[in-house]
Amino acid sequence: MDPTLFFEQVVNGLSLGSLYALIAVGYTVVYGIIQLINFAHGEIFMMGAFGALTVYLVLGSPTDLSIPMALCVLLPAMILGGMVLAAGTALIMERFAYRPLRGAPRLAPLISAIGVSVFLQEFMRLFYGRIPGFPDSKRGIAFPRIEGITGNNIDIGSVSIKMSSIFTIAALLICTAALWYYINRTKTGRAMVATSQDPDIARLMGIDVDAVIMRAFVVGAALAAIAGVAHGMYIGNIDFKMGFMAGLKAFTAAVLGGIGNINGALVGGLVLGMVEAFAAQLGPTAWKDVWAFVILILVLVFRPQGLVGAKVVNRA
Amino acid sequence: MNENLLRPVAIAGAGLGIASIFLPWAYGPRILDDMTYYFGPSFLQVCYALLAVVALACLVAHFFLDRMSWFARVIAWNDAAKAASLGAVGYAIAVIIAIAVGGGGLINVEPGGWLALGGGALAAVSWFLPASKAPIFERLRCPKWVQILAIAAVMAVLLFAAAFALNQSEADGFLVFAVFLGAAIFTFHATGFFGWLSLAAANNRKVLVISAFTVAFAFPFTQNGSDANMSVAAQVLTFAATAIGLNIVVGLVGLLDLGYIAFLGAGAFTAAVMSKSVFATLSVDLPFPVVALISGTVAALFGLLIGTPTLRVSGDYLAIVTLAFGEIFRITMINLDGTDGPNITHGSNGVPSIPNLDFFGFDFGQSHEIFGIQIGRFSNYYWLLLLVIGLIILVFANLNHSRIGRGWVAIREDEMAAESMGVNTFGLKLLAFAGGAFLAGVAGSVKAYTDTSVSPDQYVFLESAFLLAAVVLGGMGTIMGVLIGATLLKLLPEKLRYFEDYRLLLFGALMVVMMRFRPEGIIADERRQLEFHDTDEELAEEVEEDLTTHHAHLNADKELP
Amino acid sequence: MKRKSLIVGAAALALLATMAGCGTRGEASSAEEKILTIGVIAPLTGDLSPFGKGIQYGAQLAVDQANAAGGIAGYTLQLSPQDDQATPDVGKNAATLLAGDDTVIGVVGTMNSSVAQPVIPVLGAANIPMVSPANTSPALTKGDDLTNPTRPNVNFFRLCASDDKQGPFAAKYLYENLGIKTVATVHDKKVYGQGLVEQFSAAFEALGGTVVAAETINPDDKDYNTVITKLKAANPEAIYYGGEVPQAAPLSSQAKAAGLTVPLMGGDGLYDTNYMELAGAAAEGDLATSVGAPTETLTTAQEFRAAYEAAGFDSGWSAYGAYAYDSANVIIAAAKEALTEGTTPKDARPAIIEAIGKVNFTGATGSVSFDALGDNNYLVLTVYKAEGPAWVAVESGEA
Repeated sequence: MDPTLFFEQVVNGLSLGSLYALIAVGYTVVYGIIQLINFAHGEIFMMGAFGALTVYLVLGSPTDLSIPMALCVLLPAMILGGMVLAAGTALIMERFAYRPLRGAPRLAPLISAIGVSVFLQEFMRLFYGRIPGFPDSKRGIAFPRIEGITGNNIDIGSVSIKMSSIFTIAALLICTAALWYYINRTKTGRAMVATSQDPDIARLMGIDVDAVIMRAFVVGAALAAIAGVAHGMYIGNIDFKMGFMAGLKAFTAAVLGGIGNINGALVGGLVLGMVEAFAAQLGPTAWKDVWAFVILILVLVFRPQGLVGAKVVNRA
Repeated sequence: MNENLLRPVAIAGAGLGIASIFLPWAYGPRILDDMTYYFGPSFLQVCYALLAVVALACLVAHFFLDRMSWFARVIAWNDAAKAASLGAVGYAIAVIIAIAVGGGGLINVEPGGWLALGGGALAAVSWFLPASKAPIFERLRCPKWVQILAIAAVMAVLLFAAAFALNQSEADGFLVFAVFLGAAIFTFHATGFFGWLSLAAANNRKVLVISAFTVAFAFPFTQNGSDANMSVAAQVLTFAATAIGLNIVVGLVGLLDLGYIAFLGAGAFTAAVMSKSVFATLSVDLPFPVVALISGTVAALFGLLIGTPTLRVSGDYLAIVTLAFGEIFRITMINLDGTDGPNITHGSNGVPSIPNLDFFGFDFGQSHEIFGIQIGRFSNYYWLLLLVIGLIILVFANLNHSRIGRGWVAIREDEMAAESMGVNTFGLKLLAFAGGAFLAGVAGSVKAYTDTSVSPDQYVFLESAFLLAAVVLGGMGTIMGVLIGATLLKLLPEKLRYFEDYRLLLFGALMVVMMRFRPEGIIADERRQLEFHDTDEELAEEVEEDLTTHHAHLNADKELP
Repeated sequence: MKRKSLIVGAAALALLATMAGCGTRGEASSAEEKILTIGVIAPLTGDLSPFGKGIQYGAQLAVDQANAAGGIAGYTLQLSPQDDQATPDVGKNAATLLAGDDTVIGVVGTMNSSVAQPVIPVLGAANIPMVSPANTSPALTKGDDLTNPTRPNVNFFRLCASDDKQGPFAAKYLYENLGIKTVATVHDKKVYGQGLVEQFSAAFEALGGTVVAAETINPDDKDYNTVITKLKAANPEAIYYGGEVPQAAPLSSQAKAAGLTVPLMGGDGLYDTNYMELAGAAAEGDLATSVGAPTETLTTAQEFRAAYEAAGFDSGWSAYGAYAYDSANVIIAAAKEALTEGTTPKDARPAIIEAIGKVNFTGATGSVSFDALGDNNYLVLTVYKAEGPAWVAVESGEA
């Protein structure tokens, strides 16, 4: 293969994989603690993107900002807005759809999650555009231009890399580092690990399990919101359905890496992104998604604990 | 408050309510079913009167009954009066809202409508009457023919109610009638009649099943030759048949399958490519039953293909694998179009213009006149589907009460324990998976002919989610529940097109609320119900008690000649 | 036991028969007013609803104008819009509903060819004509063999150009007017997109051009960078895309961001200003073909626009509103011919189908008349170019 082509596909795969990985962390932390497949997490990612857009609109849709202004003021504000909306949604969802079902047979919360997923999509579709001055969300909405990122490229040799790709990959690196610090070096993070290992003992040790679970949802939502903003800049537009496929792929990534394991989510996301990029490059693009899912099935059959995960105890 | 004062007030209210139907309720004949006549009550007004009459009768009965007499204790007279009068108020409110919405403002409500509301409200003071003692209705012993007649009557009423509700082309009429049905059921429940009925039904299971099928079979005759509802009914049946297949997998064995629609699709595509459509690629001339069997087998093979490797992994993974399989199926069907793969399915075009079935000269595409009523194309397919669903129910019921069924339930409740007791868990799970797929495949083959075209975009994830919702909503592990769930999920969106934009929003919210408050579904499998409320000691006792008294009654009845 | 169940069945039927007697009061009063219904089957909800609403209101406008002009032979017209959610099953139910209504004289719809497939036979069984403003699949009028067409549905007519007209027109424009010799094609593997690209590729190669890359995308995905990298390696002079705005706009913007700065061309699925909103500056210079002459050149089109705006509908006319307006007028014109004293609307349906084959007038989209297959004779196509926030007509011609 032509080296330029190869490296461009590697960058494509890494960008896509970083998005998957950022979302996959949300599935994995929640699953690690309460063994719940939060099917609606894809929608949290969508809410993150819409939250960022909302901040932009509330700020009066500023255009022609200088690059430092855009990168140091506008972008952080948008990411923050996305995080607030995503985390808020996640907390409400946890409180009303999942918490009452703790201890119910496992089917119950999963079905509830599917309901939440459909509800959130429809809610955004029907009501976002009704707010005066907000665009009609029944169609796609253009994501705001961020000067310095949108439409800018860096050329390394003959390979041209988009700034939005670099942003996405950098976001993953920074978030991984922050997450590692949070989990391993802070008290609340360690409480989270303890709870995921044994919730009953953790409770006996004085850990507020409810608070830990809420924190897990918030952490997942925050990363998903960053992914939402990255997605907006990388793809150029957002819509109410964007969470479904992204969520599905990210969940696949989480399972691929080993669900419940944060490193696994990162590895799984990147692997899945690469598989998609090279499946598209080497064969007909029409079969790209089939390969992604076939690899998932193969991994589950031959290594059910995932690529990185430790042997799972059968909790069923 | 004083009962001697309350009762006359309530009686007067009920009387006023009955009188109100002889006055016009609405201004303008286009609102609901024309409530503009003096002394010419419309059907929906008569419905109101029925509630009011029941309330009146139950209230008046007090004066004629000796409190200790047997007759006074059979029915919970006071409770029934309360339920009926409350139902009447609710119904009157529904009608008034419908009139106001349909006509554009409360101005369209004529005095009769207000009188109905006021009368109902007065009657509803009966709410403060003392509660009845538990009725002994359900302990009544009746000769078998009475029981059978009662079942038949209930079935006939159901048929009529379904036909009437379906013939409401506007959402308002449908909703108002639905409120009436709710009120009527509430009232009957209060009398204690349902307890008796369920015992009678349990005593005469075969009669119940046969009369239910008779009623379903007779349904096309209520349509006056119109095929509009039959098209929906045929879809409901296809959906229900598939949902029952899914019920084996989810409800009995407890395996969560999120890609089940793919099996329906596999059956439909198999039948389509083997049909005599000009777009079919593997056209063969085979009788339909053979095609249906082949379709089922193909779907079952898919089930084996997906099940063999994945059934060894535990629950949550299975959900995602089946979801992935559903997507793989859809994408593959799109890709088998001659450019990205061999041309089998014509890609996203699918296979259109599938010819109609023809059984021994009975052309399913034509209208036939039976008993002077035009029976259209969809009615023909409706009957065929009824046959298929009958077979599926037969298979389901027999499996459920067999050694295999008990094995499945054992797996659902505790797989490890089941395995250590010698249950072949892997084999049984595979059997459930392939068996469920087979049933869906057969349903799919009929669907291909009913729809006349098959295309991949009919088999998306949302459909799988709807199937699962039908099973969950109706009640996992029960046939009746799944039938009700499937009917609600397919019928309501068709009838409530008024709310169509909010359809999915409501669906999502309903799933969440349902899981929160009644996870076992509308019709609960008793054992299953306990699983969901395992901390609820009271319920456990209740279920146990129910079961013992129930069996005692059954056995007692059996001893009779 | 068996005898008893028979008795039960008989009892059920008897009860039913007695009960069926009541509840039929509404009919007498509604018969006094003579009504003709024109059905609309279109996606009124979901993400295609802007197009579906345009179809509904276009037809509504035609019906309102006909009523204002005194109706037809003493009948008042009414519109019965039905949602198909862009789903074949739901569309089929809507069709059965309309087929059961004796006052229906014709249906305007559908938008998606995949919905049309099950809808047409259901309406056909009741002799109801369907005039489509938007179905572009050639098979609907020409059958499965395009070189040797036979009409599969006598009750189906369409006003818009099918894919086998639009694709070649675009090919000709790229090859002859712009001198482009190499293109890459992309489609979304849906009926519309794939058909368009197939027809385009055949015509483009027949003209002497080369299709250097043929790719597909998954419409549920939004990241097309892997495909774009592949296209870039083939170095095309233009991209031809078969599909609709929600995918085309990100495809264009991502292609340009990745350094593939060649124009993207598509069919009428792109011809909506939403395309520029989503693709932003990247849209500049992209091309779309759409059916009909540019509205500026037709007085009838301007009249339609003025009337539509005056009516104050809550959604714009979108891509197909003018076609729906003309479609409804086709049915109305035919009904005027076919409805005579004494025939009921239901009996007049075959005559209406026959009359539709003979209509000839100038509508909002140009002159309207049908050939033996049910396709519009007058098929003007226009190439539009994205300039700033609008599509500007650059080339018009008969297909």
